[in-house]
Amino acid sequence: MSALKFFVLQAESTFSEEEEEKLQIAFSLEKQDLHLVLETISFILEQAVYHSLKPASLQQQLQSIHLDQDKAEAFASAWATAGQDMIEKFRQRVLTPQKLETIGWQLNLQMAESTQAKLKSPQAVLELGVGNEDSKNLKKVFVEFSHQELFEFYNKLETIQAQLDSLT
Amino acid sequence: MVNHILPGSLTDVAFLFPVTVNALEGKDCKESVRLIAESANLSEEQLAFLISGMYTLLREALRLPLSTFKQEVSSGSTWNPDKVKAVIPEDFIVDFSSVVFGNRRPTSEGTALIQRSRLPSIQDFKWRVDVAISTSSLARALQPSILMMMKLSDGTAHRFEVPVAKFQELRYNVALILKEMNDLEKRSILKIQD
Repeated sequence: MSALKFFVLQAESTFSEEEEEKLQIAFSLEKQDLHLVLETISFILEQAVYHSLKPASLQQQLQSIHLDQDKAEAFASAWATAGQDMIEKFRQRVLTPQKLETIGWQLNLQMAESTQAKLKSPQAVLELGVGNEDSKNLKKVFVEFSHQELFEFYNKLETIQAQLDSLT
Repeated sequence: MVNHILPGSLTDVAFLFPVTVNALEGKDCKESVRLIAESANLSEEQLAFLISGMYTLLREALRLPLSTFKQEVSSGSTWNPDKVKAVIPEDFIVDFSSVVFGNRRPTSEGTALIQRSRLPSIQDFKWRVDVAISTSSLARALQPSILMMMKLSDGTAHRFEVPVAKFQELRYNVALILKEMNDLEKRSILKIQD
C-alpha cells in the first residue's frame, strides 16, 4: 500500500498502460479494482493538498472515516515525506498561458553604423525566453536598450520590488 | 555632378539644396521634389543626378563626427576644400559648410540616431502584482505573482507572467548589465581615441 502511495505522490500523473498491468500483477487485483484503488488514493491526496493538511491531521481524518489503522498510518508517513513538496508545487502553478522561463543578455559597444561613424555607444540586448503552457517552443523575445532606457527599466523593476516587499 | 550643374540654372540647384537638407533631417519631401521637377528646366536624369549627388555628399559629411573636422581642413584629409571646390561651384560651398558645421547639424544628427537600425526596444511597459488567494488545487495559496506587458517598437506586444524567483533573477541581471555599462563607459573613453 505505501509503495503505491509513494508512486502516486511522486508521479502525480496517471499511470501508463504497462505500469497499470504491472501493478495489477503486483497486487493481484482486477483492472477495475486497480482503477478504484488509484482513484481513491488520488482523491485523498488531492484533498490533503487542497486543505494543506499536516500528516497528523490527515491520519486523524482517515481514521474518522473508518479506514484501517495501518492504512491510515501508511498515508500519514507517505504524506510526511512528500507532502510539503507537493503543496509547494501546486502553489507555483499558474494559469496564464505565457511564462518567463529564461533570461539572457549581451552588452555591446556600438562603434559605427551606416549613418554615423565613430560612435562609442553601449547597447544591451536582453533575451527573454517566454514559454507556453507546457514549455514547448520557447519564444525568444529580443529587446535592445541604451544606457538611459536600461536605467528607466531598472527603476520600474525597483518599483515592482517595492510592491512585493510591502506584501510581506 | 559639375557637368550637370553648369548647363542647368543655378536657381534650380538652390531650390534642391534645402530639399536635400530636409530629407536628411527626416522630413517628407515628395511634394517639394515634384514641384521642382515640374518648374525646372532640367531633365529627369539631371535632376536625379543632382539630388543624389548632394544627398550623398552631405550624408558622408554628416557621418563623421564634428571633432574630426576643422573649418579649415588640412590638405591631407578627405575633406579638402580644393577637392570640394572642384566638384561644387563656389557659391554652394558656403551653404554646404553651414549645414555640416552650423546650427542645423544637431537636427540631422538627431534624425540619424532615430532612424538607425536597431533591435526592437521597449515602447510601453505595464505590470501588475497579484496575490493568488485560492485556486482549484489549493484552498489557501497566498502566492504573489507578477504579470508584465511589453509593447515593443516594432509593434509586437508580449504579455507574460513572471514567477517571483525569475523576477529576482531579472532584476539581478539588469543591475549587472548597468554596472558593466558604467564600467565600460569609464574605461572606453580613456582607451579608444578618435
